[in-house]
Amino acid sequence: MSLKSYINDIWEAVTTTAKGMRITARYGIDVKEEVTIQYPEQRGPVFERFRGFLANDVKTCISCNMCVKICPVDCISLEAVRGADKKMVLVSYDVNIGRCMYCGLCVEVCPPKSLTHTGGFEKSMVARDEMVLHFIHEDAEVIRQRVARQVAEAAAKAAEEAKLAESQPKPAAPAAEPEKK
Amino acid sequence: MEQLTALIIQKVPALAVAPWAVTLLLIGIVAFIILQFAMVFAGFGTYLERKIAADIQGRIGPNRVGPIGLLQFLADGIKLILKEDIIPTAADNHLFRMAPYLIFTGSFAAFVVVPFGFSLIAADLNIGIYYVMAVTSLVSIGVLLAGWASNNKWSMLGGMRAAAQIVSYEIPVGMALIPAVLIAGSLSTQDIIRSQGGLLGIFGWNLFHNPFSFFSFFLYMVAALAETNRTPFDIPEAESELVSGYNTEYSGIRFGFFFMAEYADVFVVSALATACFLGGWQIPFFNAASLPPVWANLLSLGVFMAKALALVCVIIWIRWTLPRLRVDQLMRMSWKYMVPLTFFNFLGVSLWVLVFKGKGIPQMIASIFG
Ligand code: SF4
Ligand code: SF4
Repeated sequence: MSLKSYINDIWEAVTTTAKGMRITARYGIDVKEEVTIQYPEQRGPVFERFRGFLANDVKTCISCNMCVKICPVDCISLEAVRGADKKMVLVSYDVNIGRCMYCGLCVEVCPPKSLTHTGGFEKSMVARDEMVLHFIHEDAEVIRQRVARQVAEAAAKAAEEAKLAESQPKPAAPAAEPEKK
Repeated sequence: MEQLTALIIQKVPALAVAPWAVTLLLIGIVAFIILQFAMVFAGFGTYLERKIAADIQGRIGPNRVGPIGLLQFLADGIKLILKEDIIPTAADNHLFRMAPYLIFTGSFAAFVVVPFGFSLIAADLNIGIYYVMAVTSLVSIGVLLAGWASNNKWSMLGGMRAAAQIVSYEIPVGMALIPAVLIAGSLSTQDIIRSQGGLLGIFGWNLFHNPFSFFSFFLYMVAALAETNRTPFDIPEAESELVSGYNTEYSGIRFGFFFMAEYADVFVVSALATACFLGGWQIPFFNAASLPPVWANLLSLGVFMAKALALVCVIIWIRWTLPRLRVDQLMRMSWKYMVPLTFFNFLGVSLWVLVFKGKGIPQMIASIFG
C-alpha cells in the first residue's frame, strides 16, 4: 500500500461521508417528503379488488355448497333445508376468518355472486370463537322448525287442494267440454 | 465541594458540629441532580433520535403521547419498568444482573467532570480527561460481562466484538484529546475551557488553534462514535447479524439501563468534544468571570448545552446516514488509519506548541493587527 493510495483512501472516506450526509440533511430538512399516513384518522384507499373479509348476501345465496367444497382450508360451513317452495333455505352460514387465507376461490365459484370480499380488514377480538362470522343471526333450531312448519302447512294445503280437486267434479269439466262443443 | 460546605457552615453555624454530614448531603444532592439529568437526557435523546430519523426517512415520528410526542419517552420508560425482567435459566445469574449496572456506572461516572457551566461542575478533578478515559473503560467490562453471562452465542459474539472495538478505539480517542490538553497545559476540563476564552470569540476555540487541532476534533468524533458503539460502528449490536448483540437476553428495566447508558455516553462524548475543541461554556466575546455569578452560570450553561446538543444532533445525523462497517473494516480503520493519524496530529500539535510557544493561528493574526 503506497502512501498515495493511503491518502486517497482517507480522502474518499471523507468525501463520500460528506456526500451522504448532505443527502440525508436535504431529506431531513425538506418536510414535504413525508409519506406517513396517520392511520386511524387518515386511511389509504381500499382498492377495488382488495380481498378483505368475506360477506355473504344470504338473500341471494342458493345454498349450492360450492364455496364449502372449494375452500382449501375448510373455513366455510353451511346448513340448509329444503323449504316449502322447493328452494333451499339457509339455516346457518358461518365463515371462520381465523382460518381463511383470503384466496378468493369461494368468491370466484359462487354462481349467483352472493359471496363477496369486502374492503374490511380491521377486526380485533379477544376470544377465538369471535373469529367465526355468522351470517344468519337467527337460531338454527328456530329456522328449522319454522321451515318444517311451513313445509307441513304447504303439504297440508297441497293435500287439501288435492282432496278438494278430487271431491269436485273433476272429470265433469273435461266431460263438459265436449258438451259445449 | 469543600468551598460550598464551608460557605454553608458559615451561613448556618449550627451545622459546624458535623461538617462531614453537610458534605455528604451535598454530594448526594449533586449526584441526584446529575442522575436526573442523565435520565431525562436519555429520554429526550431517544425522542430526538426518533424525530431526526423520521425526518431523514420521510416519516413523522412519535406524535401521539403529549404535544408533538414529547412525552413518548415517559411512556417508553413506564413500559420498560413494568415489563417482566427475564433472566434465562442458563445464564450466570450474578454476572447477568451485574452487567447493566457496570455499564451504567461507567457512563454515568463520566458526568462527574462534565463542565456544565462557569462553576457548574460536580468535581473539577485535575485529572479530568484521564479520569473520563479510565472510567468509561468500565463500559467494556460491562459489555463483555453481559455477553458472557447471557450464555447465548449472539450475546457472546457481540460482547467480544464490543471489547475488541472499545479497546482498539480507546487509543485514538485518547490521542485525539491530547492536543487540547497540550494547548491548555492541564488535564482538568475547566482549565481546558478557560484556555479557550479571550476576546477572539469562536476563534479562541481549540478547533481553530492550529491545523492539527482542527483535524483532531474530527478524529475525536469518529473515534468517540466507535467507542460509544453508535452506527456506523455498532457491530456489537448489529441487529442484522447478531439479533441485538450483547443485550439480546435482556428485558425490562435492565434493558433500560443499557439504553440509558448509550445515550449518557453520547452526551458525554459530545460534552467532551465541546469542552476540548469548541470552547465549552465560554460565552463568545464575554468574560464569564466578570458577570454576576448567577448570570455567568446560567448563560454559560445555556451556551454549553446548545453546543453539546448540536453535537448530539450531528451524531444522530451520522447514525441515520452511514451503513454499518464490517468487523475487519472496523479494525483496519482503527489500527491503519485512526491510530497513525492521531499520533501524527499529536506530534504536530506538540511541535506547534513548542515552536510557537502555545500561540494559535488566530492569536498570531490578531497580534499582527495589534
Ligand atoms: S377466501 Fe379462500 S380460504 Fe377464505 S373462505 Fe374463501 S376459499 Fe376459503
Ligand atoms: S357458492 Fe355462493 S350461492 Fe353457493 S352456497 Fe356458497 S355463497 Fe351460497
